[in-house]
Amino acid sequence: MNRATPTAFDVAVLGGGVMGCTTALFLARAGMRVAVIERDALCRGASGVNAGTLTLHMTRAALVPYAIRAWDMWMNTDAWLGHGVLATAAPGLSLAFTEHEKTLLKQRAAARCKYGARIDLLDRDAALAVEPGLNPVVLQAAYCATDGFASAYLTGRAYHAALRDAGVHVFEQTPATRIDRVAGMYRVSGPDDAIRIDATRLVMAGGVWLEPLLAMLDINIPVKTLVNQLIVTERMPPVMRSVLSIANGLLSMKQFANGSVLIGGGWQGIGDRVRGGVETVPDNLIGNLRLAQHVIPALAKARVARIWLGLESETADAMPMIGALPGLPDAWVIGCVHSGYTSGPYMGKLLAQAMLGEEPELPLFDPARLVVPVEALAQPHREKTE
Amino acid sequence: MPDFDVLVLGGGPAGVNAALAASAAGLKVALFDENTAAGGQVYRAPVGAVAPLTAHQQAEQPGDTLRRELAQSAVITYFNHVVWAVTAEYRVDAAGPAGPMHCNGRALIVATGTTERIVPFDGWTTPGVIGLAAATILLKSQGILPGRSTLVAGCGPLLAAVAAKTIEGGGKVEAIADMAGLGDWGRTLPAMVSRPDLMREGFHWWHEISRAGAPILSRHTIVKVEQAHDGLRATLAPCDAAGRPVSGKRRSVVADCIAVGHGLTPSTEITRLLRAEHRYSRQAGGWIAAADQDGRTSRPRLYVAGDGAGIAGAAAASHHGTLAGLACAIDLGATDVDQLRSHVPAARQAHAKAARFGRSMAQLMALRPGHIDSIGPQTIVCRCEDVTRAEIDAACDAGARDVNQLKAWTRCGMGPCQGRTCGDVAAELLAARAHGGSRERTGCFSARTPLRPMAVEALTGDFSYDDIPILKAAPL
Amino acid sequence: MLNAETMRIDKAGRAATVWFFFDGQPASARVGESVAAALFASGMKTLRTSPRERAPRGMFCLMGSCQECLVMVDSRRVLACRTAVADGMHVEKVPEAGSDA
Repeated sequence: MNRATPTAFDVAVLGGGVMGCTTALFLARAGMRVAVIERDALCRGASGVNAGTLTLHMTRAALVPYAIRAWDMWMNTDAWLGHGVLATAAPGLSLAFTEHEKTLLKQRAAARCKYGARIDLLDRDAALAVEPGLNPVVLQAAYCATDGFASAYLTGRAYHAALRDAGVHVFEQTPATRIDRVAGMYRVSGPDDAIRIDATRLVMAGGVWLEPLLAMLDINIPVKTLVNQLIVTERMPPVMRSVLSIANGLLSMKQFANGSVLIGGGWQGIGDRVRGGVETVPDNLIGNLRLAQHVIPALAKARVARIWLGLESETADAMPMIGALPGLPDAWVIGCVHSGYTSGPYMGKLLAQAMLGEEPELPLFDPARLVVPVEALAQPHREKTE
Repeated sequence: MPDFDVLVLGGGPAGVNAALAASAAGLKVALFDENTAAGGQVYRAPVGAVAPLTAHQQAEQPGDTLRRELAQSAVITYFNHVVWAVTAEYRVDAAGPAGPMHCNGRALIVATGTTERIVPFDGWTTPGVIGLAAATILLKSQGILPGRSTLVAGCGPLLAAVAAKTIEGGGKVEAIADMAGLGDWGRTLPAMVSRPDLMREGFHWWHEISRAGAPILSRHTIVKVEQAHDGLRATLAPCDAAGRPVSGKRRSVVADCIAVGHGLTPSTEITRLLRAEHRYSRQAGGWIAAADQDGRTSRPRLYVAGDGAGIAGAAAASHHGTLAGLACAIDLGATDVDQLRSHVPAARQAHAKAARFGRSMAQLMALRPGHIDSIGPQTIVCRCEDVTRAEIDAACDAGARDVNQLKAWTRCGMGPCQGRTCGDVAAELLAARAHGGSRERTGCFSARTPLRPMAVEALTGDFSYDDIPILKAAPL
Repeated sequence: MLNAETMRIDKAGRAATVWFFFDGQPASARVGESVAAALFASGMKTLRTSPRERAPRGMFCLMGSCQECLVMVDSRRVLACRTAVADGMHVEKVPEAGSDA
C-alpha cells in the first residue's frame, strides 16, 4: 500500500466480520470496486469465535424471518460463498426444568411462531425421544425441526477465499483511526497514515467497535460490548444429536461431527473493546458447565479442552442497526444483531441490496433511532485536508 | 481479605525456593503442584517404597533436601492439584483429590518449568517413540528401562544422561545421534569449568557410554522412523550446524525404543494468560516473560523464576527462586525489608554463577534455524488434530499470517494438548514462510483457560439446579 | 540390576507387584508406578487412535503435557501417565469419537 497515493474504491467496508464481508461480497459481485478494512484478522472478534448456533429459539422473535433466510444461506454456502463452514441441520430443543421455565418456554415459542417459526411444545417423553441423552427430570421442551449449527472458526478462511476470488481488496491488521471528507469521497486512514483509502461509499460494520467508528463521523450511538464465554470439550463419542438450549436463554450446546461439544449461553467474562476479551470468570464458567451437565448428564465425564471469549455488540434496544446513516451521503451501518452469526449473511445481503438501489426483501433497521445527541463532548475536531 | 500473601505455582527447585524465601520473610505462602511431591522434573522423587540400600545414611540428594526443607517450613502445599485458571489479582482455581477449590493471594510466583520440544520427523508419532524427558522419567522416577535396546537422539545434555542411565540400568544403547558437533560441545567447556561436579558427572557418563561401546554419531539427526518386525527402524542422516540434513550416508538403526528430544521450551501459559509482556529469545528456549533479574514481570506482583523464565539449569533455578521470593517479600512490604534487601546481592551473584553453566547447555538445546526445513509435507505437525506440514504451508500461502489465524484455518493447536507440543514448531514454520523468520511477527497461540484439560465434573463439583445463579434471561 | 522379564531396574526393597488390565489384557506393575510407565514396560505401547489418520498412538511425553496417553479408568477419562496403578484396576481405551470435521 503506497502511502503517497490513496487508492480509490467504490465502497470501503470497515470491519471484516460476517456482515461486513457478506456486504462486501455482494457489492463486488455487482461490479463495485470494494475494500475491506479490518483491525485484526477476518472474523476474529466475534464472527469466528461464537458458538455457531443456527437456532430460532435464541434468535429474537422479530428477527426470526431474517434467521430463517440466513439458515438457508448457511446450509447452501456452495451457492454464494464457495467454502463451507460445516453447517449442519439439526432439530433444536429449548428446555424447561422448572414451572417458571415452562412459562418462559411457552412465551418465547409463541412470540417466535408469530414471526413465522415452526415451534411445537413437547412433553418429557417426546423430548427424550428426540434427545435420549437428556436429563429425565426435564419438564418440557420447545421443538424446532429446522435448527442447526456451524463451525464458526471456519468462517474467516471461507470469506478470505471468497473475497479474494471476487476481487475485493482485503486489508487485515489495519485499524481505521480517522475518516475525513475529501473532494466528495470518504478518506479512511490508519495509524501513522499506514493506509489511506478513498471511497465513494462507506459501510460501518465494526461490531463492538461501531461506537468509536461512528464517532469518527460525529455520530454518537452507544454500543454495549458483551464478553461471551465459550467452552469446547475434546472429541468424544456422541452424547447429543440436537441443538440444545434452556428457556431462560442461558445455555447453548451442540456436538460437532468431530465429537467435540461446544457450550455457550452468554455467560460473561471480563473484557472491553479496548483490550478485547481479557479473562474468564471462573464462577461463570462453573455456572455454565453446571447447566450443561444438568441438561446432558453424560457430559460430566467429558474433558473441557478450551475456553475462550467472543465479543458481541448490543444497542440500547437490543435490536440491530442496519441502514443509511443519518445526515451523511452514501454512508451505511450494519451490526448489533442479537445472535448475529445466525442471521449475519442474510443481513449483509440485505444491506447490499439496499445500497444497490434495490428494494430490500425485508425491512432494515433505521440507525437514526439510536442516535444520542452529541452535547459538548470532548471529541478531537475532524480536520479537513486539502 | 486474601487467603495468602503469595501463591507459588510449580514445586520444582525454583518454586520451592521462592516459597521458602517468602515464607522465611514472614509471608503466608501456598504452593501448588500437579505431582505428588516437590522436585519438579529435574528432582522428581522415585516412586514406590525404597528401603535404604545399606545401613549407613545415603548422601541426601538435592531433591530430598528440597522436599525436607519444604516439609519443615510453614508453606501450605497443595500437591496433586491441577491449576486450571489464574485470574487477577490473583485468584487460582484448581482441582485436587477433594474436588474443585480456589484461593487468592496478593502476589503470584510462576515457576512452571518447561516442556520438551521435539521437532517432527516422518514416523515420530509411532508408539515406542518417546521424549528424552519421558525416558528420564522412566529411568529415574519409575525405575523402568525404556527398552531392551534404545536409540537416543536429538540434542542437549539429556542425550548423555539418558544413554548413561540406560546402560547403568542394564539396557543396551544402539546409538546416540547428536545434532551437535564436537565444536558445539567444545564451546561449553569454559562454562563447565564453573561446575566441576557436573563436569565429573559428564565424564562419568561419557566413560560409561564408551565402555558399553555405544556409537556416538555427532551431527546426526533422525529423519524417519518406521515399524519393523524386530522393533522400530530409525533412519539417521548427517546434518549441518543449522540442523538441516545434508547429503551423506544414511544409517539405519533398529531399537526397541527411540528416545528423542530437541531441547526445552519455557512454559509461559500462565504469564501469557495474565497478559504480562513477553519477548522471544531463541537462546532462552523461546517466548519468555519480560522480567528483571529478580523475576519481576511487567505485571504488578507477578513474578517468574526458574527455567520457565528462560533456560538456565536447575542450580540457577534454585537461586532464581530465592531471588523471586525475596523480591516478592520486599514488594509486599514484609517486615524487616532492609534485612531482606541485604540478602539480594549474594543471591544474584550465586544465580549469575550458576546460570553460566545452564545457559551454555541451553545453547545446545536452542532451536536450530534450519531444523524445521527437514519436516516433510506429509509429516504430522499437530499430533492432537493430525495436521500435516502441507496443510500449514497451504494455509500460509492462502493468507494466514499469525499463528492464531493459522490455528483457525487448520485446527493446528486446537486439540487437548492446547498447542504445547506443536506451538513452537508451527510458529517457526509460519515465521519462516511468511515473515522472514520473525517469531515476533508470528506471535504465539493465545493462552486459554483451562490450563489443562479438565473433566467437567472436576469443575462442577456437587450442585443442584437451584444453586446455579441465573442472571438476567435473554431478551425476547 | 535389570530384571529382563519385567524391565524393572531392581533395587533392594522394591515395591510390591500388582496386576491390572488394559483392554482386558493383564499386565503387572509395581506399586507407585504410573499406568503409562507400566504399560510401556509391558510392551503395550498403543493406547489410542489418531483422529483423522486413524493411526496408532501411545504414551509420548510421560509428564501430562502431550495428552497422547488418554485412557479410561472407571469410566473417567484420565492420563495414564498421571494415574498410579492399583491392584485389579481395569484400564480401557477411550471410546472413539465421530468422523473428522
